[in-house]
Amino acid sequence: MKRFAIVGMPNTGKSTFFNRLTGSASRVGNWPGVTVDLLSARVVLGGDAVEVVDLPGIYDLHGFSDDEQVVRSFLENNPLDAVGVILNATQLDHQLPLALQICKLGLRPVILINMIDEADQLGVRIDAGALSSAIGCPVVLLSARHGTGFADARDAITMELREASPVSLNALRENLHADDELVQHAEALVSESVSAPSKLVRKMTERIDHVLLHPVFGLPLFFLAMFLVFQAVYTLGAPLQDGVAYLLELFRTWTLEPLETVLPSGLYGFLVDGLYDGVGTVASFIPVIILFFFLMAIVEDSGYLARAAFLTDSLMARLGLDGRGFVMILMGFGCNVPALMGTRVMRSRALRLLSMLVIPFSLCSARLQVYLFITTALFTASQAPLVLFFMYLASFAAAFLTALVFGRRLKSDEPFVLELPPYRQPVLKQVLLRGWHEISHFLRRASTFIITGVVLVWLLTHFPAGSTPGGAGTYASMLGQWIKPVLDPIGISADMSVILLFGFVAKEIVIGALVAMTGLDGSALAGYLATQMDSIQAISFMLFVLLYTPCLSTLATQLSESRSWKFASYSLAWSLGLAWAVSFSFYQGARLLGY
Amino acid sequence: MSMNNIDNLSSLRKGQTALITGIHAPDSIRHRLQAMGLRTGREAEVIRRPRHGPMQIRIGSVNLIMRRCDAARVTISTLQ
Repeated sequence: MKRFAIVGMPNTGKSTFFNRLTGSASRVGNWPGVTVDLLSARVVLGGDAVEVVDLPGIYDLHGFSDDEQVVRSFLENNPLDAVGVILNATQLDHQLPLALQICKLGLRPVILINMIDEADQLGVRIDAGALSSAIGCPVVLLSARHGTGFADARDAITMELREASPVSLNALRENLHADDELVQHAEALVSESVSAPSKLVRKMTERIDHVLLHPVFGLPLFFLAMFLVFQAVYTLGAPLQDGVAYLLELFRTWTLEPLETVLPSGLYGFLVDGLYDGVGTVASFIPVIILFFFLMAIVEDSGYLARAAFLTDSLMARLGLDGRGFVMILMGFGCNVPALMGTRVMRSRALRLLSMLVIPFSLCSARLQVYLFITTALFTASQAPLVLFFMYLASFAAAFLTALVFGRRLKSDEPFVLELPPYRQPVLKQVLLRGWHEISHFLRRASTFIITGVVLVWLLTHFPAGSTPGGAGTYASMLGQWIKPVLDPIGISADMSVILLFGFVAKEIVIGALVAMTGLDGSALAGYLATQMDSIQAISFMLFVLLYTPCLSTLATQLSESRSWKFASYSLAWSLGLAWAVSFSFYQGARLLGY
Repeated sequence: MSMNNIDNLSSLRKGQTALITGIHAPDSIRHRLQAMGLRTGREAEVIRRPRHGPMQIRIGSVNLIMRRCDAARVTISTLQ
């Protein structure tokens, strides 16, 4: 098996190229010397089996951020047959030194000059042949987004790998070449083989930025854009969700219900009323989640997130965070786990820890499921969106409060410097691929956490034998009685406490567990919920769900990314405490006011 | 030289261009800034400078946003 790694700066289309080269077969995995997961895939190139690894985007190999350390120790610990260095065609003068650095280290590079379509439009002409003979390695011009030149790139990589043998590096940092020399070399190369207008003007991007980065209207426009994204998820998602629920119900009526006469009643109850309805109710939220990730992928792909960082930085600076932190919080609205991993670009540990402390309060898509369900069940159609909006506000408030409380202790000297990429039209294929990754991620969780959770809840609520299912005397109600003293003051009933216990593992379980516990679904379940909580208790419950801890995966990611038990336990204790305090104040306050 | 009092990037106004002459920061920070394009001898132009928040700087083909306190680490000499 040959091994090929892809390196490059951020915003060069590295992942786009990786996706095009490997299709959708990629997986995350562990690598020697590297404490974080990297994306890799196995492909066949010219008859050879090749393992392709996508390394994090970095500006140089000297740096001190976790991403830069990851790339360095990956290169030191994993022999490579060849390396693809992706460069942005419009910034060759700026990016070529990184490619030269890789050459000097003795690795076999294939230089992939990407975004050649943009360079063409801007009037940049690159003589790949001249560059190739001057550097002494293959140079290919391509557009990973549109596919131009991609076949040539794959051929060049195949050729290079055929002759290659693995290269191992030792003590990489000591062998790095002095930057100044590389920069001079790069400048000489660029002046020989690249012709470009003296000033690269991107009229379209400038025009759009003139509006979107407007000193007065920029921020309101940003919030409007976010509001529209959530509104679209809500209005487009609801009918889709009903559609899936209808299909699942159809399958139940035609295929599963006839089994009732065949199977023993206990087994039928477990399989259909417990497992199928439980997992099915969770599955009916998949369209909403997919829609959400599609829209996020479009926003991300367009280049607007860097603008969000620009617009929010002065606010975030006051909290001890920076504009990137705000973007991570936004990403966290999809899923907290990748957002936590996104903090690897930060060099300062203090800033990184503070960002990782704040991100878990982002109202992720799994919590959104719970809220959609509860708000539809307990509030009127006009109240529901307001309650949901209130939850998003609470999510921001919790994040800001946390930053304020811990910011003084986690101070950093991290410079805030960020590249502002031009606006790009999102490519459908990339957006769909992102969506597919999310669906497969969900299915993987579904096959482990959700099924296990639903099965456990069913067992707890139906045993010991002879007790009324879901009623008194079951293990679940014993558990409920046991946590009652803690959760009673915040208005959460014993039954719902058990659900919260399972929600700790993953919020996707919450609704499935409710179904398994009660044996009800659809409107009957909504009716049951109304007996468990009034609207004040529902909001208290939702606040608690928002804050008490996102899921076990988030906690595990916090631990693996910080490499500190102390930090992870601190974060857990803070969020549990905050959840209880906020729900307590809300619930008791509302009751005092007579609601 | 009447313009000599303008000596770091943060004091430039919108639309002004200057030559980068150095970066005054600890090694690790200087390295990061250089790798992002802020190299001695390059021309930097201020594209945006809102009253609050970071500024937008263009160096050749690279557009950067940076806080004023970080821009203040970059020494310049004005052109003309």
